[in-house]
Amino acid sequence: MPPARVTEADIRDWCIAYLQRTVDNPSIAIGPEANFAELGLDSATSAYFIVELEEWLGTELRPELVFEYPTISALAHFIANGEGGIPDAGSG
Amino acid sequence: MPAPADRDVALIAALPSLTALLRHRAVAQPDDRAYVALSDRGGEERTITFGELERRAATLAARIAKRAEPGARALLLFPMGIDFLIAFFACLYAGIIAVPVMVPRRQSTRDASRSILADCEPRLALTTSELLSGIRGDLVRRLDHAGLEWLAVDDAANAALRADPATHEARRDDIAFLQYTSGSTSAPKGVMVSHGNLLANLEMIRIACGNTRASTYVSWVPLYHDMGLILNALQALYVGALCVLIPPLAFLQRPWLWLRAISDYRAEVAGGPNFAFDLCVDRQRPEQLAGIDLSCWKLAFVGAEPVLARTVERFTATFRAYGFAPRTMWPGYGMAEGTLLISGGRRGQGPVVRSVSRTGLLRHQAVPHGDLGDAQPVVGCGRALMGEEIAIVDPESRVRLADARVGEIWVSGPNVALGYWRNPEATEATFAARIAGEDKRVWLRTGDLGFLDESGELFITGRIKDVIIIRGANHYPQDIEDTVQQSHPALRRHGGAAFTVADDEKGEQLVIVQEVERTERHRIEPEPLIRQIREAIVTEHDIVPQEIALLRPGALPKTTSGKIQRALARQLWLSDGLDRL
Repeated sequence: MPPARVTEADIRDWCIAYLQRTVDNPSIAIGPEANFAELGLDSATSAYFIVELEEWLGTELRPELVFEYPTISALAHFIANGEGGIPDAGSG
Repeated sequence: MPAPADRDVALIAALPSLTALLRHRAVAQPDDRAYVALSDRGGEERTITFGELERRAATLAARIAKRAEPGARALLLFPMGIDFLIAFFACLYAGIIAVPVMVPRRQSTRDASRSILADCEPRLALTTSELLSGIRGDLVRRLDHAGLEWLAVDDAANAALRADPATHEARRDDIAFLQYTSGSTSAPKGVMVSHGNLLANLEMIRIACGNTRASTYVSWVPLYHDMGLILNALQALYVGALCVLIPPLAFLQRPWLWLRAISDYRAEVAGGPNFAFDLCVDRQRPEQLAGIDLSCWKLAFVGAEPVLARTVERFTATFRAYGFAPRTMWPGYGMAEGTLLISGGRRGQGPVVRSVSRTGLLRHQAVPHGDLGDAQPVVGCGRALMGEEIAIVDPESRVRLADARVGEIWVSGPNVALGYWRNPEATEATFAARIAGEDKRVWLRTGDLGFLDESGELFITGRIKDVIIIRGANHYPQDIEDTVQQSHPALRRHGGAAFTVADDEKGEQLVIVQEVERTERHRIEPEPLIRQIREAIVTEHDIVPQEIALLRPGALPKTTSGKIQRALARQLWLSDGLDRL
C-alpha cells in the first residue's frame, strides 16, 4: 500500500526496493542514479516493472517511460512532477 | 456425399496460391470474423471479416501496383494488428514480395533493418499513418534508402479508392515473402518462402494440429516473427477460424490477458516460445485469473527455443486448477528455412518427456541414464509432418545415423523453402546437402543437433550454428561481441566471445567474456566498465547478459587466423579455465 500522498522520494524508494528484489545479482549496485539498462532491464522486465509501479501508485503509466526517463531518480521526478502532477494514490 | 467441412478441406489443399486461399475464405464465409485485435488492456479494438479483409487487400493492392512491378519488394513495418494482414495480402495480390520486419526500437542505434534494406532493395515501405507521421517520425530517416517510397496503408486515399483490384495470379513457385530471421545484423539472410511452401506447411500444420473452422486462436506472437504469422495468423485463415491478436508488449506486461482471452473467446489453439509459459507462471495473479476456464484450450504449441521439461510441468501444474488439461501441451520444432514447422505432436497426445544419460549425450548417444545425477530430461518435439522426412546425419562425414544417435537434423519436404535471397553460396550450403551414399535427393541442413527415437519422435539436444536464442528470438554472437567492443576503448577489438550456457531451470543464460587492452588493464575500473557493457547490450539487443567477465589480454583461444574460438572459450568458461583480470 502506498502512503496517502506519494512524494518523489517515496517513488524512488519503492523503485530501489523493487529492483533490489528483482534484479537478483549481488554484483549490481542499485542506487537512484543507476540506469535501467545498466541494471539489466530489457523490454520484458521493464514492462513488468511499470505494471507493478502503476499498481502500487494506482495510476496508469506508459511502458516507454523507462526509456524516456532512464534512471530511477529521473523516472520518480517525472512521475511526481510530470503530466497530471503527483498521482492520487488513495483511489487504487 | 461429403460433409461441408470435408469439402472445404479438399478444396483448400488444392489451391494454387495464398491469394486464392483468401478469395476462397471471402466467398465461403464472407461475414465470419477473421481477426479481432485487442487493446493493451484486453478490450476489443478492431475486427475484420474475411470478406472485408479481401476487399481491403485488393483495394490496397491496386495502390501498390501503381507504384511497383510484380517481383519488387515491400517492407512491412507494423505494430501487431489487422493493418499488417491487409498489407501482407495486398502485396500477394499485387505480386509484390512482402518483407516483414520488426519496427526498430527507438533507443537502439544499430539493428538489422538497414542491412535488410540493402539486401532486398525494397521499392516500398508499408506502414500505418500513426507510425509514419506521428510517434515514429524517425523511421523514415533511419530507413533512408534510394528509391524507397513510404505508404501508409490506412490513410484516406486507401478508403476512398475503389479502383480495379490488382489481379496478379501467383503460381506455387512464386516467392510470397522473405523471412529475415537468419544471419547476423551485418549479413542478414532472407529466406525465400514460396506460395507452394506456405500452402504445403499450412496443410501439414492443419493435419498435425487437427485444426478446423472451430479452432479459434489467441496470439500475442508478433506478426513479423514467422511463428506469429504462419502458425497463428495464416493457419487460422487457412482453416477459416478466428484469430484474436494481443499486442506483444501487453502480453509481457500482463500475461494473464492472454489466458483470459483464451477463456473468453473459447479458443482451442494458443502457443508461443518456451518463455511465454514461464512468464504466465511467474507473473500469475489469482485476482486476475478469477473465473477463467481454460478447458476449451486443446493445443498449446511451444517452440522457437528449447522446450524445457520443467516449464511444461510448472505450467501444467499451475493452470490445471483453471481447467488446463495436461495433454494440451504440444511441443514443436521449426525454422524459417522449413517455412515454419518441421516437427510436431498430435492433438491431445501430450508431450513426450524422456530421461536420458547426460554423459551419454556428451558422447552423442541417447542412452538410459545410470544414477539420478546422470539423468537429463529431454522433451520430444513431435515427429516429421505429412509428406516430409527428417534424417539425423553426421555433420562431418554426412553419413546417416541410426536411431538414438545424436547428429545434425536434416529435412526434406515441400515445406523446405527456395533458399536465401540473392545468396547462392549460402543457399547451396544450407538447402542442397546430400547424404553420403544415398540418392540424389537434396536436404535442408538445420544446424541443430538432435536424435530420433524408435517411434520417430525428434529430440533437440544442441546446435552447431553460432546462434543464441533468447525468448524465441535469434541473436548472433558476432553482433553482441561487436556491441561490447564498441562500448569502451579499453576493450579489445576481436577479443571477446558471447555464448550461452544451459540452465535446466532458467533456459539459456548469456555469458560475455572480453579481453582488456594491454595498455589499459591497470587504468580501468572493472565495475563501471561491466555496467557499461551490460547497458550497451540491453540497449542494442534487448537481452540481459547473466555474467560479464573481463579477461587479461590474450586469454581467449583463437584460431591461427585470429578468429575467436567460441566453443572452446565456452568450455574454458565452464571449467573455470579463463584468465580473468
